[in-house]
Amino acid sequence: MKKLFRAAAVAAACALALTACGGGGTAGNPSNVSPTGEIKPREISWLLSRPADGAVINIMKKLADDYAKDHPGFALNLITTPDRPSYIQKLETLAAANKLPELFDTDATPFAQQLAKQGKMVDADKLLKSLGVYDDYRPGALDYQRFDDGSLYMIPFQFELEFMWYNKSLLQKAGVSVPKSLDDIPAMCTALRKAGITPIALDGQDQWPLERYVAYQPFREAGPEFVQKLKKGEASFADPAGKKTVGWLAELGKANCFQDGFSAQGYSDAQNQFTSGQAAMYNIGTWELPSLATDKLNPAVRNDIDFFTLPTTEGAVTAANEYVSPSGIGMAVNSKTYDPLVSDFLKFALGKYPAEYAATGALSPTTTVQTAVPANATPLYKKALDAANGLGSKQAMPWDTQLDPTTNGRLQQELVLLVQGNITPEQFTQTMDDAIKQNAPKFFK
Amino acid sequence: MRGAAKAPRTERPTMLPNRSRTSVLVFLIPPLLLYCAAVLFPILQSLFLSFFSWNGISDMEFVGLANYVRMLTADDIFWHSFFNALLYLAICLVLQLGGALVVASLLTSLRRGRELIKTLYLLPAVISTVAIAFLFVRIYSIDPVGLLNQLLHWVGLGSLERAWLSDVNTVLAAVSAPEGWRFTGLYMLIIYAALIAVPKELEEAAVLDGASKWTLFTKIRFPYIRPVWITTTIMATTYGLRGFDIPYLMTNGGPGQSSELLTTYMYKTAFTSTDFGYASTISVFIVIECLVAVGLILFMLKRKADS
Repeated sequence: MKKLFRAAAVAAACALALTACGGGGTAGNPSNVSPTGEIKPREISWLLSRPADGAVINIMKKLADDYAKDHPGFALNLITTPDRPSYIQKLETLAAANKLPELFDTDATPFAQQLAKQGKMVDADKLLKSLGVYDDYRPGALDYQRFDDGSLYMIPFQFELEFMWYNKSLLQKAGVSVPKSLDDIPAMCTALRKAGITPIALDGQDQWPLERYVAYQPFREAGPEFVQKLKKGEASFADPAGKKTVGWLAELGKANCFQDGFSAQGYSDAQNQFTSGQAAMYNIGTWELPSLATDKLNPAVRNDIDFFTLPTTEGAVTAANEYVSPSGIGMAVNSKTYDPLVSDFLKFALGKYPAEYAATGALSPTTTVQTAVPANATPLYKKALDAANGLGSKQAMPWDTQLDPTTNGRLQQELVLLVQGNITPEQFTQTMDDAIKQNAPKFFK
Repeated sequence: MRGAAKAPRTERPTMLPNRSRTSVLVFLIPPLLLYCAAVLFPILQSLFLSFFSWNGISDMEFVGLANYVRMLTADDIFWHSFFNALLYLAICLVLQLGGALVVASLLTSLRRGRELIKTLYLLPAVISTVAIAFLFVRIYSIDPVGLLNQLLHWVGLGSLERAWLSDVNTVLAAVSAPEGWRFTGLYMLIIYAALIAVPKELEEAAVLDGASKWTLFTKIRFPYIRPVWITTTIMATTYGLRGFDIPYLMTNGGPGQSSELLTTYMYKTAFTSTDFGYASTISVFIVIECLVAVGLILFMLKRKADS
């Protein structure tokens, strides 16, 4: 028995020592974007967070098959986890175990920036330039993927615009018009509620939709720099822009803007509320064009639906044509496994991808191709696509890609409490500023 | 021959004769090793990690007891989730053990249909957790109106209608109830099996002596099933303390931290905040909490049995 214990103790000690070593690991050279040598076909993997039968995955599968015809032995293994929180957990765990695959999806989060700093991702700026496609991309699509210092490590595969969709007849019924300013929205909600209409449908379960709202006022009041300072603790919710957004959200809550019990309702619940004509407004991006601007949309509301872009405010520093225009989660290239094969495949795939993608009716992250409007589209479809051509140079970044993960989690929780009226704006400000003070230094050293 | 004939009288009966002690060890050691690898080792590793600050990709930094100090003195969410976990446990225990005892007792007095009722009560235990979570999200929903709010409306308690999962005052009870409901049938089955093993003669003698139903239950039946009761209590408590899936799926700890349990908080700290050191500190606390809980149960029930 004694022997057994001794053996167990030794085994435990060894394993602890091994895990202690697991943190480091080797990385390739992030700026060596054109590796030399022979292209040896093998299977490579892409860990991604996109809809399983969505356009990106279907096209990349097809392109990989085409590539494999000329390069026998090549295969692209697509491992998707569409649920974003689960995906992020998977990614972070794999990064911790130093087991990231050749390609992986990530937003420009503080965590990704740490990976970049450790040299674990290939410099996408250099990579795209060496492939000769850099200038094809919409500047906004690349900017969305950049870290605050302007460096670029992720490649976009989408380009989306986020609008406020609304139901004209419901607004008319309540006797209100489209809000000219963000500050008009609380009063609009009160009027809609009086008419027995749910003002805004919100997916509370996924948390990011409510987090969009906290970004709007500061973006108008102080521009995109506010959140960049806030996340590092250089700005605070007690500053004018912060105060304004906190007060505004509390007002949205007081005016009962969101459906009752929104915090427990999911993505499709919210969309159904809007498309069934119960809710008057719905904030979502162009990725929902196939369900909102084609004949798939409920005929009862089809002619009543329109959209407006993020309203401005008095004295706003950003223009009406500047709002949330994300290029989706980006793809990073693992520098450790980057070799002539990965480089060659990317050259092949990135060159052909935009045309294939635009043919599906989606906005390509490049300006080289024209998006095809599907045959079953309503006139709104084209109107939405055209908005992409008139964009300004600044864009509102979703805060969930900006804040450190702990502060972000806390913000998502506190926002619900603020909007539900469970905490006061002062409590919210105090809690969030404390959270940033405590957590930001670890991520933004 | 002599030894074999003598054995039954002098030695305690064992499954295997004395000389094959090695064979007993051969069978016991593999599961023991497996247990060490799967249970003890991760616990030790958590203990080790809890003294470090580590986000998974940076270098590990030894911080001594700083994580413990932060947890016990500076983390409001930790204490919030700790008290939530205790309340969650209390609700689960009342529903699971109390409910199980009541149903099992009633079952024994039933003449027909026992099997049907047993099966019906056991059904929730075999439904997948995710399905249960989705089911209850619908039941508690207010917009569109869910089953619970509809029922309240029908019986004239419309004033109680609310968004159960969004109200900070009701959400914890709302996420505890499905967990309690789910395993009532399982514990009912165990307690029922113990109850029907109570010797009929004892009960009849007591009835002849004029014992009431309540006396019969408190003086004869319950003392008789006490060992089973202890086991089920320990089982239900440890399950309750590590409750995770249903609250996580239904509300993700929200709104705010109103339904955050220690387990969900630990999980988020590890896999969302990538603060593996601090998450390990919380998990060490959970291990200690479970041990203390089991110790307390044994202590209380032993003292009761002794008196």
